[in-house]
Amino acid sequence: MSASFERLIDGMVEALQAHVLPGSHDDFARGQIFSVIFALNGLKLAADWKTGPLLEQIRLQDDAFAAVRRLADGMSHPPLPVTRLTGGIVDAATVESLRDEGDRKLGELLLWATGEDARTADRSAASEIEMMLRRLICDQLKVELATTPKLMLQQIAGERVASGAN
Amino acid sequence: MQKAVASLDRPPHSTGAPDVVDDAAVRAGLTVHLGRTFRRAVAIEGFSRKSSGFSWITYSFVARPVSGPTRKLVLRVGPPNGLFAPYSVMPQVLALQSLTGTRVPVPGLVSFDQGGAEIGFPFFVCEHVEGEVPAPWAGSELDEGHRRDIATQFIAILAELHKLDWREQSLASLHGDGREREEVRAISVWRRSLARPTARYYPLLDWGGRWLAENCPQPPRRTIVHGDYRIGNFLERERKITAILDWELTHLGDPHEDLAWALMPTFNARSRKLYGVVEREEVIELYQRASGISISARSLAFYEAFALYQAAAIQMCAVRAFEVDRFNDMRMAVMASQMPSIVRAFERALEAVA
Repeated sequence: MSASFERLIDGMVEALQAHVLPGSHDDFARGQIFSVIFALNGLKLAADWKTGPLLEQIRLQDDAFAAVRRLADGMSHPPLPVTRLTGGIVDAATVESLRDEGDRKLGELLLWATGEDARTADRSAASEIEMMLRRLICDQLKVELATTPKLMLQQIAGERVASGAN
Repeated sequence: MQKAVASLDRPPHSTGAPDVVDDAAVRAGLTVHLGRTFRRAVAIEGFSRKSSGFSWITYSFVARPVSGPTRKLVLRVGPPNGLFAPYSVMPQVLALQSLTGTRVPVPGLVSFDQGGAEIGFPFFVCEHVEGEVPAPWAGSELDEGHRRDIATQFIAILAELHKLDWREQSLASLHGDGREREEVRAISVWRRSLARPTARYYPLLDWGGRWLAENCPQPPRRTIVHGDYRIGNFLERERKITAILDWELTHLGDPHEDLAWALMPTFNARSRKLYGVVEREEVIELYQRASGISISARSLAFYEAFALYQAAAIQMCAVRAFEVDRFNDMRMAVMASQMPSIVRAFERALEAVA
């Protein structure tokens, strides 16, 4: 199981136990809370992140690495990973870890492309790499945005207008 | 106002601070602290926690000394598990000391203790100020004329803050050692915060932080910067701003920083108008007239990008608190989900500056 999924489930269970249950004195409501905790523990045992969006992000990262390899021809650049998506990867934890490693590599490449060495070696190619990396990283963010629900900021913050709270 | 009592010369609490802020223990410690500060026994009444925020914990109470007048006061405590822990009371203390008696309304400082001797955490006590805190997203509940009155005062007060000569104030002690420009130092603080290990790494933030530090414009004038100047960080009563609050991020720097932060749509009910009523051009015009400081379009765009960078860094503090420090506050987990949209907005803002 991926660490972030497990942590999210643990956080929800703990938040309900520590913050919601003590303030809930209605038997029916308490029954609902315990049932939600039970269901969350079940999800922890049986579920994980959908791999589809993670795999799509990794594909975009691999496209970026391939483009760097092509555009930086002849330039000295940080080592690039070989295409990482092989048919056998199905485990969400492995895919998530690959995505995170890919992000770090993208950061390294972006810092390199906008640094003095790359600019001196080939200003035009360095600029092209920078723009390509920024575009593909934004495409990757769009994949994540597609799986993010609308934020309930007002409700999360407590909704009421505080008074005399300096 | 009673003269503020500094306690920095005492050693920190030697037994170590407890992990969780216990309200009853805080109240007991406060009683001892006020007794020492006022040099007479003090009874505390109506002690209640006001905030459920992520950072400083705020309590309101009435202090009733055995002799002398009763005072409505406020206690603010920097918890060990807050988003920006470990906390220093000094920026807020210096701000309140420096600004009392100026045209920037602030609560009067009563006492403070960075070592947190009696309470166990850094804290300060200030006067209670009457008024309400408007929520940034609740602006539409007030009529337009009301919001406009508040917004224009809000701009005028910011201008007053930026006009103050910090060299003559105790805030001058925030001045760095000169190795780094003050405004670059403000960027470095957030870069260091983002560099702390977390599960997720955002390449655009790493690169963008370096870009901001390397391209930081010269300020038109180095001023006191509030650091979190926005709708929701002041008290208002009967259409009048009675106090500017939350000085924990105050520093010296470029006045564009406060203006850009205040104009963020997040703090203006998703509107690009200040408080949803004053157009940006008018905000700039009013500010320039009141402060005598010329606003540069490029600097404002730069600090709008920095505002998003700072917002991302704050969200990452929440991510870290949830994932690494394992605080089970689900609001922090929810903040993590906002990272993609903030980072994308940051990238667009950088594009606008370049």
